[in-house]
Amino acid sequence: MRSPDVMTIRRASRRPLMTKEVGELLSGRALWTMLLILCPLVGFSFFQAVALYGEASAAARDQPQLATSLSPLDGILVPTFGAFYVAVTLLFPFVAIRALGREKETGALKLLVQLPYPIPTLVAAKLAAVTAAWLVTLIPTASALLLWLSFGGHLNALETSSLLFGHLLYGLLIGAIALFAAAISDNSATAAIVTLALTIGSWVLDFALAGQSGVLGWVSRLSLTQALRTFEQGLLSAALVLGMCVAIAGFVTLAAIWLHPGTSLDKKFARTILCVGIAGALLAIATQLRKSSDVSEDKRNSFPVADQRALAGLNEPLIITVHLAPEDPRYVDLQRNVLSKLERIVPNVTIRLVTIGQSVIRSAGEVSYGEIEYSYGGRSAKSRSTSHREALPLLYGLAGIPAPTPQPGADYPGYPLVADGWIALPWFFVALPLLIAVAWWWWNRRAPHIPAQFAKNGGQL
Amino acid sequence: MVADSDRPSADQEATAPLRVVGITKWYGEQRALADVSFDIRRGEILGLIGPNGSGKTTLLETVAGLLPVNAGSVLWQRSSVPQHRRREVVFYLPDGVRPWDGQHVIRVLEFFAFAFGRQPAELDEVARSVGLEEVLGKRVSALSKGYARRLMLALALLTPHPVLLMDEPFDGFDIRQTREIMNLMRRVGAQGRTFTIAIHQLADAERVCDRFILLAYGRVCGVGSLDDLRTSINQPTARLEDVFLALT
Repeated sequence: MRSPDVMTIRRASRRPLMTKEVGELLSGRALWTMLLILCPLVGFSFFQAVALYGEASAAARDQPQLATSLSPLDGILVPTFGAFYVAVTLLFPFVAIRALGREKETGALKLLVQLPYPIPTLVAAKLAAVTAAWLVTLIPTASALLLWLSFGGHLNALETSSLLFGHLLYGLLIGAIALFAAAISDNSATAAIVTLALTIGSWVLDFALAGQSGVLGWVSRLSLTQALRTFEQGLLSAALVLGMCVAIAGFVTLAAIWLHPGTSLDKKFARTILCVGIAGALLAIATQLRKSSDVSEDKRNSFPVADQRALAGLNEPLIITVHLAPEDPRYVDLQRNVLSKLERIVPNVTIRLVTIGQSVIRSAGEVSYGEIEYSYGGRSAKSRSTSHREALPLLYGLAGIPAPTPQPGADYPGYPLVADGWIALPWFFVALPLLIAVAWWWWNRRAPHIPAQFAKNGGQL
Repeated sequence: MVADSDRPSADQEATAPLRVVGITKWYGEQRALADVSFDIRRGEILGLIGPNGSGKTTLLETVAGLLPVNAGSVLWQRSSVPQHRRREVVFYLPDGVRPWDGQHVIRVLEFFAFAFGRQPAELDEVARSVGLEEVLGKRVSALSKGYARRLMLALALLTPHPVLLMDEPFDGFDIRQTREIMNLMRRVGAQGRTFTIAIHQLADAERVCDRFILLAYGRVCGVGSLDDLRTSINQPTARLEDVFLALT
């Protein structure tokens, strides 16, 4: 098509668009209300976490070996962020939906799509505003971490950053789902129902399909809550990060596809199928990635350093045949203590679960039930232990290499701390909500800057 | 595709740069627009007139590319403009919209002005011309219906588009305000911009519009100036109301 020569819409600056989007989110009640609700939620979780951590730390005074199990990641970060996670799941959709739903309800969308911005830019600006809103909602949680530091508590920068990154991806995923829901819905209420059906549906998946194998197990891994667990365990997984990024990009693309009211339904459905196909292919590729990094300070996801080095040198295929039902607690132990660590470090490892589809009760009668068979280099050995202390010597024996000598001084010291968490309560229940309420009042009452030229009279076209 | 016989001559193109050709729109089993064709001439105020439910808003939204059509096209200077590029040629101002109602009026105006690369002086000029100076510090939600209309009109004037489509632009104005806005539209029209307005107040339409499209049941019943329409019903002194009743 020849461009209209009377005028050509030039590429517009994105700054006014971003200013408008952020202004829209801040002028709504949803964000401020969520902030106010977050204060007691996060505050109480933090207070309880500090109290429990203090009790455990007090016991470690008498028995110093207990100190090594005291990690702020498990004791403070995960419970405090747990409250934040609940709020992001249940409340953040309302904040994110406003970024688009309000414009659909008021008809402003018809103006927006006529502005000189490509539709993907409009949606990207909304996602950026949603990200900014997520950062604002982080204030109570961030203040909890600062309080913990002020108590003399320890936070490892890497594992804290990784957990924060995981929550950021989770928040963006919720935001992207909300934008998509708002794009396909006529009003915010319907969009909220669609979003919550997906997020709360994840919980149902978690409860209903936990420990299942096969297809059900695969479906249960689609749960949004599963995504955060890996980060909470101090693991930064390339597959998970890429998978979440693909999911975010997929929902944002779907929102862009469904945003413009002038696009026919046929085109929208065709583009949706294409988008879902591409996202599905990328997700399938992502699941094949095995690269991950153990960012936990206590290296809970790895074997001792000397073992890690030795195991990394096992280049032949290692086949592990497990005779345990997936819901058997021993399998969970084995998975956590041995299998997941081996999968991360041994270059070529295959794990076979021979009781797929069978329950513990049905399988337990079999003689071989409970056996774990390790095959490497044409030789094999069996064990019933779920501990790496038995499994690794077996493997070294099969590989014909000596067990490595443990390296001294690499043990995790633990960070016991008995702190008085009471000070957190007035902060989270009084001071911070008050500050937020004042900020909300100020934002709504502030007068806009009116350019000076409007003080003069006159002006005609 | 447009048949050669439908193609305008160079003279027609100069005066009527935008042509709507054979637009048909169905809502499920109900036909909203049936083979609607007309042209829009440079600098004119074109009135889209019809009873409620005749398809005025649907027609404006399809021309603006905000509604998909079942058939038909929009030509700009003889070239078909696909739906996703209509916003480069026309700007549509919907009816009953209070955009970004949590924002201050000045912020909304600045957003539009800066998005379209307007200078502060141009924003100043537009805000004054529609009489928004008094309410720049108010939130959009706090505006009266008349001021909300003025804001919408200001937004349209801040766009650089040669063709502006407006749905009921005088709704909410009293008679004095309506005349002010009509005068403003005439001044803007004299600079070469074109207004196509869907309007149900026939007295206002007769006063401001240069030409009319009469729409009923999704079909064009008449196109032309008031004199053309009078001639078509053989009533040389008829008012627009009489023409409307005779043709629709």
